Amino acid sequence: MTELSLRLAVTFAQILAEMSIVMITVATLTYFERKVLGWMQDRMGPMEVGPYGLLQPVADGIKLFFKEDIVPAGANKAMFALAPMLTMVVAMIGFAVIPFGPNITLDIYGITIKPFVVADINIGVLYILAIASIGAYGIILGGWASNSKYSLLGGLRAAAQVISYELNVGLALVGVLMLAGTLSLVQITEAQSGGFWHWFIWGGRPDGFFPIHTQIFAFVVFIISAVAETNRIPFDLPEAESELVAGFFTEYSGMRFAFFVSAEYANMTLVSCVASALFLGGWNAPYPGTIFEYIGLEQLAWVEHIVWFAAKVYFFLFLFIWIRATLPRLRYDQLMRFGWKVMLPIALANIIITSFTLYFFPR
Amino acid sequence: MTFKAWIKTITFYEILIGMKATMSHMLHYRPVTEQYPHEKRTLPDNYRGMLALLRYDDGTEKCVGCDLCEAACPSRVIRVISAEVPGEPTKRYSKEYYMDMTRCLFCGLCVDACPVDALGMTREFEWSVYDKRQLHLNKEQLLAIGDRSFPVREKQLELQHPNVAFFNVAFKHLPQKPG
Repeated sequence: MTELSLRLAVTFAQILAEMSIVMITVATLTYFERKVLGWMQDRMGPMEVGPYGLLQPVADGIKLFFKEDIVPAGANKAMFALAPMLTMVVAMIGFAVIPFGPNITLDIYGITIKPFVVADINIGVLYILAIASIGAYGIILGGWASNSKYSLLGGLRAAAQVISYELNVGLALVGVLMLAGTLSLVQITEAQSGGFWHWFIWGGRPDGFFPIHTQIFAFVVFIISAVAETNRIPFDLPEAESELVAGFFTEYSGMRFAFFVSAEYANMTLVSCVASALFLGGWNAPYPGTIFEYIGLEQLAWVEHIVWFAAKVYFFLFLFIWIRATLPRLRYDQLMRFGWKVMLPIALANIIITSFTLYFFPR
Repeated sequence: MTFKAWIKTITFYEILIGMKATMSHMLHYRPVTEQYPHEKRTLPDNYRGMLALLRYDDGTEKCVGCDLCEAACPSRVIRVISAEVPGEPTKRYSKEYYMDMTRCLFCGLCVDACPVDALGMTREFEWSVYDKRQLHLNKEQLLAIGDRSFPVREKQLELQHPNVAFFNVAFKHLPQKPG
């Protein structure tokens, strides 16, 4: 009984820490995105609240918290309330299998915990794919329950888009899974340790540098499909401002709107975490080992690992914002054609080629 | 599709060019924003701002109540109620003078039309109000705007006929006599 309660307490503490990290990242992202977008467009971004607008996320949060909660007439109230919760919860629990730091274990009063991953389950990648698919339900439900033509159109587009691009995300990961031979994100990341030439973007072949197992095509497919899956520009058709007001969350206001927006940013962070864990070596530094080990501070090596993981994740987040500042929105038929006739064949060919190279040159 | 175009497609060449452009704008950060309430842009010399009624240097109003501004105004902003100066039957003045600034489009035709230069356009533009009725100005308010915007006043010439200024305005597009 005490062991169970201790385990529960440790797990809850981990979940709390992880959720607060994700929420802080989301709050930072809302500021960071507006700032970077402003800089790239010769503007300043938020400058009023606090020095250089640093308190803007706080002000936005307070404003959204106190805003009136409007439910449109004719809306399905239960579904309307359920949709933002579903989206938000699903975006949050995806982080449970993400390893933020090295795979070390701690012993606390006889029980063994891994401090940098909440749940090291052996089907981590599958879990993330499943959770990301459930997130689409929140969007579709929100679009349908709002009793608004813009929301409905946004939800329909989200359904079609998510089906098209979820497929590519899943298929792009297959090559990596074949290379690693496991579905656990912790073990996949561990398989890439020892320098950047071991990362799965190059194929992780220790003998000889020629990257015969390279997953760079899968990586590009994954990044593009991830942008599409998180409804970001240039694939933001479900929430196209100039066509559909705000798409599936047109009718949402206050905290429900905040849930949708936070879920979008959390999804961005999640796909960035997955991309860096699967293709760019996760917490591993681009050189073998860590600097802290070389100078004799093995206890602090985890700090360097976490810094590298955060650097990779923030690189991807910056890339998303950068793409948003650059590209216009695709037309709907372009989106579908690109997903089915370009991305899908590349992903399938990548699977076939990787399986052949793995058969003839096993790792 | 030529081979070159194919290479450009699979390497996202055009997209990379675009992303280079945005990145160069971020690295050479020169915002065009002016943080309005904190810093204000320099107004041009011929800026046409809030309208005002002017006075001579001895404090008498310039306006002679001729109604020409009312006639010139395309938006029917101005309403003048003219009257004789008490005790001086040859002189008139505007007993009441109203401007509905909600309708004004700041064309300056009233200022051009005024024969005695009694109207002026100030450089004030921060006239946002919560109540629209605050923009319905009477004579005292317009004179107050003129007082605070034109501290240097014109001297009143005793024998100047009012129409002299009017003709000057009317023919000012003609070439001036040299010297």
